[in-house]
Amino acid sequence: MYIFLCKDSIDGIFTGVYDAWASRYGHQNIALTTHTPDNYSLFDEYISVPCDYDKSAKVARTLYNRMGDETYQEIYQAASALETCHSRKSIDKADAIYKTIVLALSLPDASKVLHYLGNPYINRAFQLSLCTGNEAHHLLGFLRFQELENGILFAQIHPKNDVLPFLGEHFSDRLPEENFMIHDATRNLAVLHPQGKRFFITDTKELNHEMLQRLSPQEMEYRRLWRTFFDNIAIEARINPALQNQNLPKRFRQDITEFQ
Amino acid sequence: MNTIPIDMDLTEKLTILSDAAKYDVACTSSGVDRKGNGRGIGNSIAPGVCHTFSADGRCISLLKILFTNECIFNCAYCLNNRDSDVRRASFTPDEICTITLEFYRRNYIEGLFLSSGIMVSPNYTMELIYQTLHRLRTIHHFNGYIHVKALPGADPELVERTGFLADRMSINLELPTADSLHKLAPCKSRNTILKPMRQIQNRITDNKQELTVYRKAPRFVPAGQSTQMIIGATPENDFQIMSVAEGLYEKFSLKRVFYSAFVNVNGNSMLPALPGGPPLLREHRLYQADWLLRYYHFKVSELLSEERPDFNIFLDPKCDWALRHLEYFPVEVNRASYQTLLRVPGIGYKSAERIVKARKKTCLSFDDLKKIGVVLKRALYFITCSGKMMYNTKLEENYICENLMRDKTQIPKDIREGGYQQISFFDRELQSEFQLTDAEILT
Ligand code: SF4
Repeated sequence: MYIFLCKDSIDGIFTGVYDAWASRYGHQNIALTTHTPDNYSLFDEYISVPCDYDKSAKVARTLYNRMGDETYQEIYQAASALETCHSRKSIDKADAIYKTIVLALSLPDASKVLHYLGNPYINRAFQLSLCTGNEAHHLLGFLRFQELENGILFAQIHPKNDVLPFLGEHFSDRLPEENFMIHDATRNLAVLHPQGKRFFITDTKELNHEMLQRLSPQEMEYRRLWRTFFDNIAIEARINPALQNQNLPKRFRQDITEFQ
Repeated sequence: MNTIPIDMDLTEKLTILSDAAKYDVACTSSGVDRKGNGRGIGNSIAPGVCHTFSADGRCISLLKILFTNECIFNCAYCLNNRDSDVRRASFTPDEICTITLEFYRRNYIEGLFLSSGIMVSPNYTMELIYQTLHRLRTIHHFNGYIHVKALPGADPELVERTGFLADRMSINLELPTADSLHKLAPCKSRNTILKPMRQIQNRITDNKQELTVYRKAPRFVPAGQSTQMIIGATPENDFQIMSVAEGLYEKFSLKRVFYSAFVNVNGNSMLPALPGGPPLLREHRLYQADWLLRYYHFKVSELLSEERPDFNIFLDPKCDWALRHLEYFPVEVNRASYQTLLRVPGIGYKSAERIVKARKKTCLSFDDLKKIGVVLKRALYFITCSGKMMYNTKLEENYICENLMRDKTQIPKDIREGGYQQISFFDRELQSEFQLTDAEILT
């Protein structure tokens, strides 16, 4: 086996797909992975793939053209998923994506590739895509902005999957006139959206934490109002912590105003 | 009636007016996809978004408030009725605009759900509601979701103007039959509820026409119309309730009917005391049946009848139906039509779609079905894969019923653990012979 070791990111995995394809070792002799193995096998050859944005962009373009928007989104979401979304025994994320792409491009209509749910690789890619999709959808609602002294809206999240691009799209469309920032504290990355412009993603090693502490004068006022509403809207005769916990997983709560 | 303190602060108003709005169950922001317009604030996505869950476990999506809890009507079940001794408050349109926008910017909410008691007259209050929406949409360029109530008795012209600013409109049916409505809400009538409902329906239809001719025409209630019925305050059985719901879907093209388990808030002697708490399991079964109508092509007459007017509270309505129609089973998953798959317990409409797509490529096994999302512990009695049952099970009503009942999820965990008591005698007692008096109105 030739095992292509790529970086765990969209660009990392797409570069891996590019190199694996170009290697001409034959798809059945190739596997992709994003984690260095604990013990190297004698019979496998490991090829480490440096992330290359040009190659990644080429793969993205080809997939988009051949699969169409919807299926491409699924692949993109799958690649954004956290590798340990399911048990460790399951198929490698990068490999699932690679095999899904290989199958897709062999079909007369690549957009139908996700119909092959009986195929374990496709199924895995589909499940991964669901993980990212669900978490991103949750965060469209659970994310909270706070207004800083300088007028910037700041949100902090701790997602499992790499959902920033999805959130960036959504909130740029929703709040075009705001300066906002969404900080993925797990990955140390952030969406930055300057008023009236397109958003971009940047790393946050240099983030000024002191600035984040300085809230706008009205911020506490609106938080209090929100708490008031939140506490009052529950019907006493139906109080049901089990249902609340089931609907709002505890792991999100550290970043949600009304649970702090 | 208490007078409104002029300078009541905003927190106090919000306390009173969210507290007074909470018995309206609808809080969804679904049904309309609208991109941001590059300026102003807001957009909307069709599946809706839940922003948080309150202590009762319900989704909070919208800022759900009353404009005022003053009211000249005297609905027996309502804490805001004119005879109640409660603190009263009213917002101003500007106050509502400010809270909505500031909450929206912070991503607390998906939009506004504005309802109201009736202050001075239906027209007077409806005009204030209109003013509020008008300001939000045109001065503040708010492009997020708005659900608004049409008040019974308000002028049709006012309702129409308001509808052009809202995404969803609703008028609550309140109670399943005209009789009950007459008894408990004497200021309202089926007429003042169904007439505006019809008006909104017709306007939506016309608007669709206008939009095909002129794409930029203003949109009227694009997310459609919904309504709500209170369950368990009056003696109607499930058959009556579901028949009314079916009528509303078919004859009034409603998007959603909501069912609200009755909570006795004011100890009114005309109303049941419900010592066991609100009838939550019954409400749950009604919602399940409602899904069967909307997504699974079931008819009410297939689920219930005059002889069997109530749902089995121990089994979900689809399992219950399947048990009484074993002649349709087992179904061969690799061949059965989509419609047939929809009727199998444990196969949801999404799984059914996936099955139809996936089996074109391979012959499906039980393992594949599991991966696709089929709940096998329910489905296994009713299906075959390539001619084989999963286990050696019998196609026999009692046998399957016993096995299905062993599955605790037949009653949702939160209701099981919420100390649910079986339908109280009181409920049963009330469900005496009550005739479906409303059939004419709905036809
Ligand atoms: S109209 Fe009836 S239900 Fe509405 S606020 Fe007044 S009393 Fe309550």
